[in-house]
Parts: sequence; C-alpha cells; structure tokens
Amino acid sequence: MAEAAVHHDVAGVYEPSLFGTYSKKIGMWLFLASDSVTFGALLFAYSYGRISNPSWPTPFGKESIINATIMTACLLSSSLTMVLGVLAAHRGDMAKVRNWLLATMFFGAAFIVLHAIEWSKLIHEGMTPFTNPWAPSVPQFGGTFFTLTGMHMLHVTIGVIYLGVVALRKKFLPVLVVLWLIGWLATPANNVFHLGVHVLLIGAVVSAMVMFLKPKIYDSHDIEVAGLYWHFVDLVWMFIFPLVYLMSTRI
Amino acid sequence: MHNIAAIHDESKAQYYWVWGALLILTGIEVVLAYEQFFTPVHMLEVLMVLSLVKAALIIAYFMHLKFEIPLMRFMLMAAIVACLCIMCIFFADAVRVVKLGLP
Amino acid sequence: MASTEIIHAHAAPQGFIRKYIFSLDHKVIGLQYYFLALIAVFVGMGLSLLMRIHLIWPNANLPIFGAIKPETYLMFLTMHGTIMVFFVLTTAPQGGFGNYFLPIQIGAPDMAFPTLNMLSFWTTFVAFVVLVAAFFVGAPLHGWTGYAPLSAVPSAGPGEGLGADLWITSIAIFCAASLMGALNFITTVLDMRAKGMTMMRMPLTCWAWFITAILGLLAFGVLLAAGILLLMDRNLGTSFFVPGGLNFTGQTSFPTGGFSSSTDLIKHNGGSPLLWQHLFWFFGHPEVYIAILPGMGVASQLLSTFSRKPIFGYRAMVYAMLGIGILGFVVWGHHMFMSGMSPYTAFAFSIMTMAIGVPSAIKTFNWLGTLYQGRVRFHTPMLFAIGFVSLFVSGGLSGPFLAQPVLDIPLHDTYFVVGHFHLIMGVAAIFGIFAATYYWFPKMFGRMMSEGLGRWHFFLTLLGTYAIFMPMHYLGLAGQTRRYSEFTQVAYQTKLIPLQTFITYAAIVTISAQFIFLFNLFWSMAKGKKATDNPWEATTLEWTTATPPPHDNFGGRTPVVSHGPYEYSVPGAARDFVMQNDPATTPAH
Repeated sequence: MAEAAVHHDVAGVYEPSLFGTYSKKIGMWLFLASDSVTFGALLFAYSYGRISNPSWPTPFGKESIINATIMTACLLSSSLTMVLGVLAAHRGDMAKVRNWLLATMFFGAAFIVLHAIEWSKLIHEGMTPFTNPWAPSVPQFGGTFFTLTGMHMLHVTIGVIYLGVVALRKKFLPVLVVLWLIGWLATPANNVFHLGVHVLLIGAVVSAMVMFLKPKIYDSHDIEVAGLYWHFVDLVWMFIFPLVYLMSTRI
Repeated sequence: MHNIAAIHDESKAQYYWVWGALLILTGIEVVLAYEQFFTPVHMLEVLMVLSLVKAALIIAYFMHLKFEIPLMRFMLMAAIVACLCIMCIFFADAVRVVKLGLP
Repeated sequence: MASTEIIHAHAAPQGFIRKYIFSLDHKVIGLQYYFLALIAVFVGMGLSLLMRIHLIWPNANLPIFGAIKPETYLMFLTMHGTIMVFFVLTTAPQGGFGNYFLPIQIGAPDMAFPTLNMLSFWTTFVAFVVLVAAFFVGAPLHGWTGYAPLSAVPSAGPGEGLGADLWITSIAIFCAASLMGALNFITTVLDMRAKGMTMMRMPLTCWAWFITAILGLLAFGVLLAAGILLLMDRNLGTSFFVPGGLNFTGQTSFPTGGFSSSTDLIKHNGGSPLLWQHLFWFFGHPEVYIAILPGMGVASQLLSTFSRKPIFGYRAMVYAMLGIGILGFVVWGHHMFMSGMSPYTAFAFSIMTMAIGVPSAIKTFNWLGTLYQGRVRFHTPMLFAIGFVSLFVSGGLSGPFLAQPVLDIPLHDTYFVVGHFHLIMGVAAIFGIFAATYYWFPKMFGRMMSEGLGRWHFFLTLLGTYAIFMPMHYLGLAGQTRRYSEFTQVAYQTKLIPLQTFITYAAIVTISAQFIFLFNLFWSMAKGKKATDNPWEATTLEWTTATPPPHDNFGGRTPVVSHGPYEYSVPGAARDFVMQNDPATTPAH
C-alpha cells in the first residue's frame, strides 16, 4: 500500500474522514471487500457445480479431516498471534511486535506445508483438476478443490511474505531466497510445488522492489493493516473448510 | 481529528477468549460433520450458521470492526453481504440444470 | 479568497521519466489514461468501420485487409467490443477525467495512494498491450461477452487458441487495475475532502465517480474470479463452464443413441455455460453503469453551469445515482432471458430492470428542470451535455422493452439490442467524454478549444449517431439477426440491404467527423486561444486554481469550502455565480 498523501494530523485542513480512520486502513478494507467478492464468486461457482452434479464424491476420511482441522487450528492461532502483535504495536513495543509477527508467520508457514502435503497425497491418489478416482463423471470435484484451496494458499503465501517484509524488512529477503531454494530442492521434480514454490522467488523480487524503491520504517498502522489482510485470509478459510472438506467427509 | 492511536477497550484476555471460542466452534463443526448428525442439506445449514458466527467473531474482534465508527461498520458489511446474497440467484439455475437432466 | 493553510511541501519531481512516464501526479496519470483511451477509441472505431463495410460489401477487396472472411468479421466484433467497453468507456471517464479532476474538485493535493494510482495506469496499459497482441495471433471469435463453451475450449474455432488466452489474460489484468483504481477513488472521497467539502457539497461529478468506483470495486472482483475459472478451463482441463458431449470437429457425428465416448467429443463433462453467463453479467451489468454514470455526473455539472441555474434537485440526483448503482447489481439476469431461465427468476429480474427506469427518469426530469427558464449559454460542452441527455432518453426508452422477457426473446438476437446499447452505453457515454473534454480542456491545457470546429463536430456526430443507431431498432423489429457476418446471403434479410447501406454511409460520415475533433484537440493544444482560470464562470474548486494546476493542485494551500457546488444566480450575490470557496455570507434576508 502506498503512502497516504494527506497527513491527517494537521487538524482542521480536511473534513474528518467519513469512516473515521486513516486512509491506509480504509484502502485495505476496500481491497478486502473486493477480494471477498472474488472468493465469494469462486465459492458460488463451486456450489453451483456441486448442485448441478448430484453424484458429488465425498472422499475425505479421518486422516484428511484431522489434517484439515490442524490446519484450521494453525490459522486461528496465527490470527491470535497477529492480533497480539497489533496490540503490542499500539503500545509501542516493537521488539514484541516482531516476535508476534514471526509466530504468525510460523503458523502460516505450517498451514502451507500441511496443505502442500495434503495436496501431494490427493494428487498421488489420482486427483487432478480434470478427474478424480472417486467419481470420474464429476470432474468438477478436483477442479473446484484445487482452484479454491489454491487461491487460498496463494493468499496465505502472499500474507506470509507481507508479514515478513513488515517484521524483518530487508533482512527478510535472504530468508525468503533460502526458503525458496529449500522448497525447490526438497520437492521432487514431478511435484506441483516444485513449480509452485517459485511464487516465493517472485515474492522476493517484488518485495525487494518495494523495499528499495520506497524504503520506510513500518509503524503501528502498517502492522494493523497487515493484520487486516491476515485475518481476512483466516476468515476465508472459515468458509472453505466446511464447504470443501466437511461437506465431503466419507460416509 | 482521527484518534489514530486509539487504544480500544481491548485486552489480551478478550483475544484469548475469542480464540478459544473459534477453536471450540471449529471442533463442533468437525464433530458434527464427521459423525454425520444431520442429512446433508441440514448439515450445510448448520455448518454455514456456525461459520458465519466464526466469521463475525473474526471480523468484530480480530479485525477490530467492532471498534470502528457505525457508518464504516454498516457500509462495509452491507455492501459485502448484499453482494454475496444476491449471488444466491445462481442456484435457481443450478437446480434447473439438475431437473432438466442436461449432461 | 478564503483562509487557507500550508500543509505540506509536495516537491514536484524532476526528470522526464518521473515527471511524465512513471509520474505519481494524478493529473499526469489522468492524461495518460485519457490518451490511452484516445488511441483505443480510434482502434475500436476503425474496427467498426471495417465491420460496416464488410456487412454491405462482403466480398469487397480492402486495401490492407483484403476480402474479410467471416471469422475475421467475428474477430473484429470481439476486439471492437472489448476495446470499447474496457479501454474506452471504463478508462476515459473514470481513469482519465476522474483521476484528473476528482482530487481537485474535492480540494485534495492528490489521490489517497499516488503509487497505487500509477500502478493502476501501467497495469491497464499492460492489459491493453496484451489485448492488442491477440490481434497478431488471431483474435477470438466469442464477442466481448466471451460466452462459454466457445471461449472455454481452445479447439472451438480459429482464434480460440492463443488469441483467446491473451484476451482473457488481458481482461484479468484489467480487473486488477480497475480494482486498484476503484479503491483509490473511494478512499480519496472518504478521506481527503477539504474543510467544508461535506459529502452533500460535492459536485455531482465527484458523486458519480465515487459511485462508479464502488460499482467497480464490487463488480470487477467477480469478473476476476470468472476469468481465473475460464483460464483453468482452457489450460488445465477443468470443466466449470463446459458441458459434456460437445463436438468441435465440424463433423456431424453427433451420436444418435445418447452420448458415446467418441473421440470427437471433447473431454469435458458436467460444467454449465450458464455459470459463465451469471458470473460475467454479474460484472457486466454494473459495468454498463460504470460507463454511463460519469457521463451523468458531467451532464449534471454542465447543464447547471451553462444554464446559470442551480442543479434541479441536487439530493434527488445523488439518491438517483445511488439507486441506479444498487439496482444495477440485481438486474444482470435480463441479459440471459434468451439463455433459458426459470420464469420466476426472469420475472424478478424483469421487475428490477424496469425499476431502474424510476431513478433514470428522476435524473432526466431534473436535467430538464435545470434547463427550464435557464439563461442557457450554448458553448460546445453544453451542446454535448444536451446531446447526452437526448441520447440517454432515446437509448433508455428501448430499455423497458428489452426488460420484459416476452419482448426480449424475439428482440434479443437482433439489431434492436445493438441499437439500444450503442445509443445508451456507447454513444451517450462517449458524449459524456466529449462534453468533459470540451469543458475541462482549458483547465488541462491552458487554452480554449475552437468553438466553430466543436459545433461542426457536435452536429455531425449527433445527427450521424442517430442516423446509425435509430434505423437499427427498425432492422431489429424486422427480424435482422445480429452477429451475422454475411446477412446478404440470408434470403429474407436481403430487403433490408438498403437500410444497412444507409447506416454504413452514416457511419463513414460520423467517423470522419471524429477527425475534426482530433484536429481540434491537438491544434488547440498548440494554437488555441489562451484560457483564463475560470473561462466558463463555473463554481467548483478546479476553477479556483491556476491553469494548468500546479503540482499539488492549490500551490501548497488547501481551500476552505463554504458553498454548495451549484450556486448560480444567487439573489444578492455580486456575480451570477458563487465559487465554492468564496467566504461564507450570512443570508441576505
């Protein structure tokens, strides 16, 4: 998010903001509004496909559900650490803020890794975007699953990079590059994440551009705005989890 | 004019409570779904209600919307909720596709 | 002048690149958008001319293009629609004039997020380049609406391979750009109004840009989702929009005994083309208002200014625009009556669509009320504003016809619809852009545009567009199908050839008239009469600052507003207009 051009601390020059808060937060809220409509449309597309294909498969057994529940708990806990980080930022305790943000990133990364393992397992079982072993006549099952969770995973990844930039600034770049290398070397060449991990490299390039073109110290506002984004990612999962996983538990 | 560093009447305890509530609601969802307590349609309704409660908790407490001014609360939520609600019109067609038996 | 305060030093950037290319100044970005739209509109117009010529003389051997093949005609159709809707009607009024004048009109030094603003323009530019690239690999055939399954299966026809990929990629990039722009506009209006500029003192142009931005924020997200799904369908083999049993080989080997696993059939199953239509039109109908609302704002501003009267019913105008914006989200189904729809849903959509007539009529009568007994000054911008109202009414009146499923079904795939949406969404919005250009040119370039040339341009364009699009309603009622490349081959339509020929000649004249505008624009930039700071004696804030406005709009000061936007002919005032930042006066009585 760019720097706001108006400094509202100068009292009396501008009308009070209609939303009673600073521009960056409003900007992020508006972005989240549009993003929730995007995710909403994806979820509606999923539901549409599901309604018009009555023989929808329900393959998720105990293992998948437990895994997904742990992932959900990770995201919820990351929201808690995030909000505690914002609280610390309001109180001006920047060392604590960094620790809370790192904890948030840890939970987020754990979510991504668990989800990646889940994906690899499903792909190994024969699920692709255009078919699945449980109901071959309903190709939408794989398509919607990978689209929805893939979009969400992309958002989580962006969120982790965003928080990393806010927490560690330029020191985060080498970390990100190392993570990319580890991810790239650790995944087998036929795994989808061997390709997908390049998102980290793109993220590193973009965040390097941002930090070198607009260097700044991130204040409590930036942390609150980053927190809004992070909680939104959590919020979206609160709908994807029941719709995609829980409604497809194995009978 | 903007009370930017507004320290809301927020405390750590409140966040821990919300976090606990979210975890418990998730647990309830998982148990209900795994034990197949309801028929799928009712299950969907129950899960959606629980998810909406969770979403409301996240928005109100974690995203601090509860502490914003009423106009912002109302405008943002009205826009998003209305937009998502009217997309439900899609389903009329999805049901029709089933009834007509198209490939 | 009112009391002002120095609030910031916003140093103007030095160097050509920071100043004119990657500029953060909303005025430069506005001009960049405007000239991008200018290039796009001439490309789109050229395509329409080629289509008109092909319709009448299908076998004509054109200089560069040779004889146009039917699939080439459909490619032109797609590119004309996409370029015009996205890169002209969305870009020029909102990105161009909105960017330039919204901050000035509300008294802000810049947009809320200048960097995001710059990114938004350059992303739009990339989207345009990607779209134009589709020309060189064979543009898609599916029209600007991109209906699946034609758009979702690469083997569906010429141009549906790489060309369609580029097309949908371009649209997805454009969505991202528009979202950036929209949230910037909304934040600017919410947060950066000068002291005294309450919401109900904003000029109607600002209201229009504000509401347009809200529509864009909520609508483009859906198109982005649809675009992602379409790209998945095309490249990863998913079946969101593609039903089973399709055969694109061109052979009529459709299995008689149900669906076989014949290799001719594409390997998709269970998707629904209607889902694409729902997602697309959920965006597509608000998009219509994204195109026309800024025009409405400009028309309101100009009618009031040049009639020297306050706008009739300011609050009603604001609420009508809000009402149009909200209703615009619940009427998308009226584009799909022909696609098959439950009669109950169709009924609801029909009622909602006709309900849009109410706020539209409120606006129309308020415009007429503003003109009534005004001391009208017929400058070129005023002519175009009146032209806008005229086109809005003529195009709008056919709306209630098409809103009814019973009438829409016979009319939908005919020229009636072509005439309808070109009048109201195309030409009316373009008239809004013309009016804004003539009106704000003195502020943007410090010179006046030629009135004589402007008048020629106006009358030729107005008569020309009516001559083009009014007969199309008749053609539609007579049963002429749209999207056909060689209707001259269809026996029952041959008796309509004379009227079509007339339309083509009218189009040639109208398109030629646009070169008068182009000449006027560039000639006046260099040689026009020097403009004063407030040549139209208007009241809004952009006319209080220097011409062209300094880097931070008001030279380090921020105006203090104490008047509404349209205080013309106020009894007891020294002049017949009261600027918005004139010192507050106690009422005379």
